[in-house]
Amino acid sequence: MTSPFEELLASLIRHRGVLGCMVVGESDGIIVDANVQVGIQANLVAALAAALYRKARLSSEAAGLTSVNFLQLEAERGQICAAGRDGLVIVTVAEPRAQIGLIRGAMLQSVEALA
Amino acid sequence: MRTRVAEPWVELPLERFVDDARVLFALLLHPSGQVMGQFGFTRAVDVMAACALAAAIHASAGQLGRELDGHPFRELYHAGRERQIFIGAVKSTREPLIFLTAFAGESSLGLVRIYFEELCGRLGESEPALETRPDGLPVELERDLHRNLAILFGRALPQSGASGPDTPTA
Repeated sequence: MTSPFEELLASLIRHRGVLGCMVVGESDGIIVDANVQVGIQANLVAALAAALYRKARLSSEAAGLTSVNFLQLEAERGQICAAGRDGLVIVTVAEPRAQIGLIRGAMLQSVEALA
Repeated sequence: MRTRVAEPWVELPLERFVDDARVLFALLLHPSGQVMGQFGFTRAVDVMAACALAAAIHASAGQLGRELDGHPFRELYHAGRERQIFIGAVKSTREPLIFLTAFAGESSLGLVRIYFEELCGRLGESEPALETRPDGLPVELERDLHRNLAILFGRALPQSGASGPDTPTA
């Protein structure tokens, strides 16, 4: 059985350095669909990243900056990116060598497909 | 507000869960309805009611699962307008315990499920050996239901059911 997000996720995972990507419910942090490499704790990442995105969105709205387009978290061993729309969030986990510019562009394009 | 427990080995795992998952209420109980630990409740009568309801819901869901799927449902989730509840079974060396938690926008079902798994692991590690643990389902059920409530609300000392007051007042 295929999900409507399969193509979207397949296009994101093809980028160099991307370890996993998933579509997650923003309010519940549950994975709708995912494409991740072995070793990524998808459920854990999804729940925490969705909570982070939600809080960033609420903070941004509270500050009068309107909605969050793109959220990037840089860590020593990689990066987590999130972009959302209409209650769904695309979360991508990437290595430090990944080209975030390209991934960002692809994610923002993919967000349009969430509508 | 801090967690209150009737059995010391559940305190740290429960506290950690509450800190991590940012829930409003948490309740760990025996399937008989006997409370073992709680967070968020201020009155004994509320704990008593929540325990009775959680035990009944868990028993009903278990039986429904057996009817429909051949196995009891392990977890149950219900979303209200602002608050949500999650009920899950915690494996134990004797028989499963029941865990109930209520949460709002500060947390999410995904987070609660993740930290519930961690809670189960921590409870498994801290659970006393079978021979040293007091009976979970005593003969005098009602007395022990009240004893644990009394311990939680400071009207009896842990593991001192005979010396403390048996009937709490809410």
